[in-house]
Amino acid sequence: MSILKPILTEHIKDENCHTLSFYQNVGGYTALKQVLKMNPDDVIGEVKLSNLRGRGGAGFSAGVKWSFIPKDTTKPKYLINNADESEPGTFKDRLLINKAPHQMLEGMIIASYAINCNTAFIYIRGEFYKEYQQLKNTITEAYEANLLGKRILGSDYNLDVVIHRGAGAYICGEETGLIESLEGKRGWPRLKPPFPAIEGYLSCPTIVNNVETLSCIPHIINRGAEWFKSIGPEQGPGPRLFCVSGRVNNPGVFEEEMGISLEDLIFKRAEGIPDGKKLKAVFPGGSSSAILTADEAMDVKMDFEDLVAKKSMLGSAGVIVMDETVDMIQACLNIARFYAHESCGQCTPCREGTVWLVKILQRLVAGEGKDTDIDMLLEITENIGGLIDFSKGSFAKTICPFGEAVAWPVRSFVEKFETEFRSCIQEKLVLA
Amino acid sequence: MPFIKIDKTEFEVAKDKTVLEIALENNIEIPHYCYHPALEIVGSCRMCLVEVEGMPKLQVSCNTFIGEVPPDRKVDGKYDMVVHTQNELVTKERKNILEFLLLNHPLDCPVCDQAGECDLQDYSFKYGNAHSRFDEAKRVRPNEYLGSKIVINHNRCILCSRCTRFTREVSGTSELFVEQRGYNSKIAIMEDNPLDNLLAGNVTDICPVGALLSTDYIHKDRIWNLKRQPSICQDCSVGCNIDVFSQKDKIIRLTPRENHKVNGYFMCDIGRYDFHKYENIERITSPLHKSNGAFSKISWDRAINKIVDKLKANGSRTAAIASSFHTNETNYMLGRLFQGLIGTIPVMENNEITYPSGFRISGDRSPNKRGMNDLCPQIVKDLPSEIKKQNIRGIYILDNGIDAELDDTWKKILDKMDFVIVQSYVMTSFAKSADIILPGLAPFESEGTITNDRGHVQWLRPSLPVKGEGRPDWEILNLLDDTDNHFNDISDLMKDMGKQFPPYSDISFFKLGDRGISLSEEAEA
Repeated sequence: MSILKPILTEHIKDENCHTLSFYQNVGGYTALKQVLKMNPDDVIGEVKLSNLRGRGGAGFSAGVKWSFIPKDTTKPKYLINNADESEPGTFKDRLLINKAPHQMLEGMIIASYAINCNTAFIYIRGEFYKEYQQLKNTITEAYEANLLGKRILGSDYNLDVVIHRGAGAYICGEETGLIESLEGKRGWPRLKPPFPAIEGYLSCPTIVNNVETLSCIPHIINRGAEWFKSIGPEQGPGPRLFCVSGRVNNPGVFEEEMGISLEDLIFKRAEGIPDGKKLKAVFPGGSSSAILTADEAMDVKMDFEDLVAKKSMLGSAGVIVMDETVDMIQACLNIARFYAHESCGQCTPCREGTVWLVKILQRLVAGEGKDTDIDMLLEITENIGGLIDFSKGSFAKTICPFGEAVAWPVRSFVEKFETEFRSCIQEKLVLA
Repeated sequence: MPFIKIDKTEFEVAKDKTVLEIALENNIEIPHYCYHPALEIVGSCRMCLVEVEGMPKLQVSCNTFIGEVPPDRKVDGKYDMVVHTQNELVTKERKNILEFLLLNHPLDCPVCDQAGECDLQDYSFKYGNAHSRFDEAKRVRPNEYLGSKIVINHNRCILCSRCTRFTREVSGTSELFVEQRGYNSKIAIMEDNPLDNLLAGNVTDICPVGALLSTDYIHKDRIWNLKRQPSICQDCSVGCNIDVFSQKDKIIRLTPRENHKVNGYFMCDIGRYDFHKYENIERITSPLHKSNGAFSKISWDRAINKIVDKLKANGSRTAAIASSFHTNETNYMLGRLFQGLIGTIPVMENNEITYPSGFRISGDRSPNKRGMNDLCPQIVKDLPSEIKKQNIRGIYILDNGIDAELDDTWKKILDKMDFVIVQSYVMTSFAKSADIILPGLAPFESEGTITNDRGHVQWLRPSLPVKGEGRPDWEILNLLDDTDNHFNDISDLMKDMGKQFPPYSDISFFKLGDRGISLSEEAEA
């Protein structure tokens, strides 16, 4: 079992850990002071070197993303902190906002400085009302201490931070859907290219980073890229907040090295499955990831590469545990129903296909399954999100990754628990 | 210039065009729904997916821009891009997208007005499955009015969002939007802002399926029963290019026809629905002669002889009235025949309406004021006072067809005249005060050229058969010319017109074609 001394969550159990004075007492904003003396390109270089990969789901290198911001434009640049945490089974950003908001804000200021942006946004999930209040206080504190506003800490650098509350749509966590929503439009993801780093918010260069990603930045500046790279696997290093939920004795957020074994995470940190039940399946990276069977789960490291090799993904690191009492058809319906409800409806395969999946699964659950249903389910998922085969590239048919997000988990349920689906159909079991 | 290959054909193409644009320009069919050349690219229908070599996913061809690639990245050492639009992968994908689009579609083609000109029907026949694999209940919703003349059939809608983008980008009025989300998405309006702008009718044309319907056309006819005639709208001086759809002697509907020099892809609702006003007018179908205050029919020969005699007797004491509602040829003939006083009856002007997309509705609601002034340069400004000054005794009126009550000035003038001759297709106030009426042609019957307010000359083609004994207006004037200078036909006339007015030289129907010619271009050539 890993013995990582918590980095991002080191102080979350301390009293008043959310306040500015507490954060400054434990060395907060020293990274910012250092950065304000640095060349912005060197900041990008350091983050690039650290190989920090995005914690929101896609796992794209943060430093590389920053370096896409054009240097030769007179347009303003924007940073958006994506705090629209809505992936089922994921609740780490909420913890960071509540317990270490200044760590995140320091990361935001450093990122803004690096990309030469003077207005940054926090797009926060509408349901996070308490967190929104918390962030308002955090930002007020920061303005009062001249950590935001004009001439930050005596430098030439100015930055304003604006909080924008979402209205409760999952798709507004997708970066271009988020940008549309921030512009006051319908949260329909944009067609790419152009990518946000070239044309984002108000058609200006924009970087969208996740709360956890930004929270890592001060530590990279303080302790150096080499230190960061030494934690966990080289291709995706650093600490990671794993959210474990479902059928476990001790659900919660656990900060661990990238690459911890899923077995340790479930059976040691989350203290195993209640009532001595057996493990059946796991979502390793939020509900958008393909599920792993118990056997696969016992043999996987929680890093980007190993999960891709298992034809799933690390995603948002939301681990949802299902024990032997969970009915796979009902669980699959539950997931499909979520995605059908959250599909934005812009492009055809996702708008029509998600509900088709739900209708078939509802029929199965009602004991009215047909022999052709299994093949149909597999084919529909393929037609929405393509096959889960990274070696051939992904064959998504939709504008945004939502198509894959619904196709992969549903497909994995059907493929991996086909016998269960088959017996449900043949025996005409009424499950609900 | 990028060098590309689409299927088996090689192209050298202009930079920054999309694969779909190049395909459309070269008659390569890539099926598409959400793409419309006048609207922003959204790439949401996914119908235009193609395979681009070197790219792992299929690409939406509407948003795949073609550029030059460095020599080491050229495909087969020479192509900047190689696109497949017909291979197995692409055709399978098309089938899948069509299957999704048809899941909740009612397949009610037999009663759908779009049938016969429906992209969903056409592509389904060509690329779709023969059978549905969808065994579940379909989403069913009632029809709704979006505006006073537009109905939506939600069940047929494929949510391509062309209509919402149209009201946002072209009319700038933003009445339409997508309500709800995902499976429940539907096109909607706010209760207090219905789709009643002057460009609203266009959404029924750009709708690729039978979802948006004009109440003016709904269930009236089947498209394959209609005769389609390209022509020009005559409701303002912009001269939008249109297609006239008719059956026998009845116009069923008008739709805009693309012309980038004039109207782009659209037309306004004034022009679109205005043809109805000719349906119940008091048509004049034969020459009429007034005796004892009542009109009676006379033959063309008698009418012409009478008029020729009167004109001869009166010489320079006859005035003529030109009309901006008549063709260049008719006005030219009038100016040629009447060397004396020529004027017009002023038509009320509205304000020009301009839309964000540049589409405009001219304030001058007559189609050919520019042409009339070009070809009758002797037109005087204040005709009534000139009539008094020059002691005019007879008047020949090209009637503009507008039935407005005569004001006192005109009543007095007409009372004093020894004779009044009106050339008109409809019984207007002027016609009623005539001694002889000669039946001309109604707007959709006449042929000729008209010049729009920016000097673009276009071919006005007839779309309805001539009613009764009516004759082309230019021809009537030709008959009145008793000299030896008759024209044999309209092209003979046009040649002469070109000689007298050089900007119009070398203009012929053949040269005008479907797009017309602008006078400035002609001058440069």
